[in-house]
Amino acid sequence: MYSAEISRKNPGCFIFLLDQSASMEDPFGGSADRKKADELATIINKLIHNLSIRCAKGDSMYDYFHVAVIGYGQDTVVKSAFDGPLTGKDLIPISELANNPLRIEDRTKKTDDGAGGLVEQTVKFPLWFEARHAGGTPMSSAFKMAAEIVQRWVAEHPKGFPPIVINITDGEATDGDPVPEAKALGSLGTDDGATLVFNIHLSSAAANAIELPASDEGLPDKFAKQLFEMSSSLTPFMIGRAKELGMPAGDGARGFVFNAQPMQVIQFLDIGTRPANLR
Amino acid sequence: MIDALHPIAAAPFSVQAFSCQKAGNARSEYEDAWAIRGSDSPTRCRVAVADGATESSFSALWAALLVESFVRGRRTGTEFFDRLGAIRRLWRRKIRGRPLPWYAAEKAGKGAYAAFVGATLNAVNHGWRAVAIGDCCLMQITGSPADRVLLKSFPLTHSEQFGSSPFLVGSVRKPDDDPLPHLRMSEGILAPDDMLVFTSDALAAWLLRRAERGEPAWDAIGPDGIRTQEEFEGLVAQAREDGTRNDDMTLVRLTRRNGIERGTT
Repeated sequence: MYSAEISRKNPGCFIFLLDQSASMEDPFGGSADRKKADELATIINKLIHNLSIRCAKGDSMYDYFHVAVIGYGQDTVVKSAFDGPLTGKDLIPISELANNPLRIEDRTKKTDDGAGGLVEQTVKFPLWFEARHAGGTPMSSAFKMAAEIVQRWVAEHPKGFPPIVINITDGEATDGDPVPEAKALGSLGTDDGATLVFNIHLSSAAANAIELPASDEGLPDKFAKQLFEMSSSLTPFMIGRAKELGMPAGDGARGFVFNAQPMQVIQFLDIGTRPANLR
Repeated sequence: MIDALHPIAAAPFSVQAFSCQKAGNARSEYEDAWAIRGSDSPTRCRVAVADGATESSFSALWAALLVESFVRGRRTGTEFFDRLGAIRRLWRRKIRGRPLPWYAAEKAGKGAYAAFVGATLNAVNHGWRAVAIGDCCLMQITGSPADRVLLKSFPLTHSEQFGSSPFLVGSVRKPDDDPLPHLRMSEGILAPDDMLVFTSDALAAWLLRRAERGEPAWDAIGPDGIRTQEEFEGLVAQAREDGTRNDDMTLVRLTRRNGIERGTT
């Protein structure tokens, strides 16, 4: 199980569910100057960027992954978060994403100059969607939409690596209990295993996170326990990657981080988007 | 017939190369490389195999530059890896001439990576010296046909050693990426019936695993086991059915010519 090769014939499927509700305007991880919505948009845009680089081969792109980013928020709307030429599209091949960003910004970053110092370098920073924060948290509907996409996908790729769905939220659903919808999503799968459903809870304060727990002991409230219950166990490959990154990941570790800080979101997305080795 | 340029004493080695790309890929997507030079030289012969990393871009080009540069030069070991500047510049020049989309340009900027094994053989005393970085392997098989055994496997010796992330040599020089501390060296003497095989990692791991399980491994890759590309593809199919990772596979086999073959083409 969870060992199918990721190839152009049997690509991986990643679906990101992004909370875009009003509370995402709050500061992230105790930082006064960064809203959760802004930070999350940067992290997911950077993730698509990194996935594009992983799939770049020579002067072209190998479609190892298909990606959807679903936003849920204002007026209980659940829809593709992509802006620009990809508006309205849900699951699309990575090459289509890479070739159609909303815009490409020039940003500067400091890099090692090879002589012990740092030098500023201009880098391309493509963006596929803007940050948003308004309205309620229709998380259950987002899982329902993910299930529709996954159902299509597994019918077309019955032997492939199962889809990976990562939900990122700072709170509780406002459209009913999301657990049954997440369970329904997790019951879909391929010959290689059930769909992997992971959850990241974002922290408003600079509090300690609970990373990759194997049980719900120590989780502070029923909403945290709900998100734990909605989360699949990590695959052995992912547990190995988590350990490489210095995260605690024992047997039965679930793909769930509670009270995550920005760095933990980035690390978890790195783990959660590494199904196995690419061909 | 008699080779006029290389009389009887010449052509001391017989070398054959076989290769196969990943299942499902086009031949143009093969990212291993091999090179042979001087198999008919009365003094020395050089052989190299490299395995371009799937995860990097333009790695087939980098692997080809490494093996060609090695067999065409005279440097061995640290000297070879200490002077990669010329082929690194050549790699960059070939990439720079292309109009690349943003993702391809960024990936190319990270450089290409490859594992490598190369050896120099002395045609007079049949001694060999090899250098390796990463998980491409050289194996010396000894004994007569039908009774062959593994004498040495270099740099990896057991099948469990494959599959991790070995250090690979990069096409872009980086401060924390110096290959020299990661080089491995070995040497030996090739007896009359011995053969040297150079392989990329997936095939080497499978052959060692078969041998560890007590299954026949070495005759299958000898001169009587594989004579044609079709026979090599049969071996690759067998390895994949046996659970070997879907990877490019390369086998370069070198034997000493016997008295009957010597001097003929």
